[in-house]
Amino acid sequence: MKVKVLISVVIVLLGLAAGAYFFRPHNFHGTVIQSPDPAYNFTLTGAKGQVSLSDFRGKLVLLYFGYTFCPDICPATLANVGQALRLLGDKAGDVQVIMVSLDPGRDTPAKLAEYVAHFHPSFLGVTGAQEEIDKVASLYGIFYQKTAGSANTDYLIDHTATLLVVDREGYLKLVFPFGVSAEEIADDLKYMLKQ
Amino acid sequence: MNKYFLHGLYGLLGVIMLSAIAFKIFQPIQVLPRMHLAPAFNLIDQDGKPLTSEALRGQFVIFTFAYSHCPAPCYGIFETLQDVQSRLDEAQLEGIPVTFVTISFDPQRDTPAVLNAYAQSIGADTQRWKFATTTNQTLLKTIIGSGFEVYYERKEDGNFAFDPTFVLVDGWGIVRAEYRYATEVSNADRILRHLGVLAEEVRNSKGTAKLAYEAAHLFLCYAP
Repeated sequence: MKVKVLISVVIVLLGLAAGAYFFRPHNFHGTVIQSPDPAYNFTLTGAKGQVSLSDFRGKLVLLYFGYTFCPDICPATLANVGQALRLLGDKAGDVQVIMVSLDPGRDTPAKLAEYVAHFHPSFLGVTGAQEEIDKVASLYGIFYQKTAGSANTDYLIDHTATLLVVDREGYLKLVFPFGVSAEEIADDLKYMLKQ
Repeated sequence: MNKYFLHGLYGLLGVIMLSAIAFKIFQPIQVLPRMHLAPAFNLIDQDGKPLTSEALRGQFVIFTFAYSHCPAPCYGIFETLQDVQSRLDEAQLEGIPVTFVTISFDPQRDTPAVLNAYAQSIGADTQRWKFATTTNQTLLKTIIGSGFEVYYERKEDGNFAFDPTFVLVDGWGIVRAEYRYATEVSNADRILRHLGVLAEEVRNSKGTAKLAYEAAHLFLCYAP
């Protein structure tokens, strides 16, 4: 009898441990937003025509705001995002990365397409009229302003370097700070893709 | 053996459900929801200096929206903020800075000089309390209307119809509370209590404590 009790106790404990493991909440590396409203549905121009956020309903969308003259932060972040997509393997097809240019004066759609392709073939680069870029950036919490650059770059653009994730239903769900690693991005995306 | 396994499974599910229900009912930790991103902006303040959303990162910011020609007492907005300003110690912020930003939707009349005089007239400490706007009316509408989701419209007599609102934004630029005049109790007590709840979360934003706070978010344990 004692053996049976002991076995049942062990089973319950193992069950609890397994349950705690399988039902544990995912520890997000980014900050989770519980927005009741869908993310702002912009329409901007890519190399192959108009691109709207709503075109990608059903996929996760990673939004990054930057510019092709960006000397350090943008290439570092986009390289990490590219690596994260490679870590996702087959599931990368359910994720669309869009880089919104903060430098519509210099970033043409063709130039953006060439730039983002260095990081991953599926990335899209979009731009538009200054007024629309101002609106999109503001509504996604992205501050930016021109600053003096070198003779080579003419001017630089200081900008908020967060990486944003819009879920399959079009709601902003996650904000990654600058410096997040490819593994951390992939970990959160994997979890969101399972939901 | 099969019976014990089932008992174990039921026991496990029971414990998980009970602990989830207990967490939800007793709410050992309360948080403020992460509602949405606050809009980014680049405004000009009452001293003619730039006031950017980026410069306010790392601080709690209470945004209000008004204009200097607003007929007094202007829905009591400034009385409430003055009350919060004088009682900030109650929130136990332990060094986390709090800034008040009043954005004017009347840039034609509210030049920096007018805003400065207005700030003085209502006894605002402009080190902590900024008054700002931008002459780019399109962007202003984007920031206030779409970004902060606050309605305003110029009437024929030059005055404004608007929804008096307080918006509390955390150090990451995320809106954590909105107090709307028509639907919410927008008094200083509530704002101060919420500042305290936010500060508590910031103090516990690392390690195991962070997990408990994320659970509070998951179970929607929101401070009233």
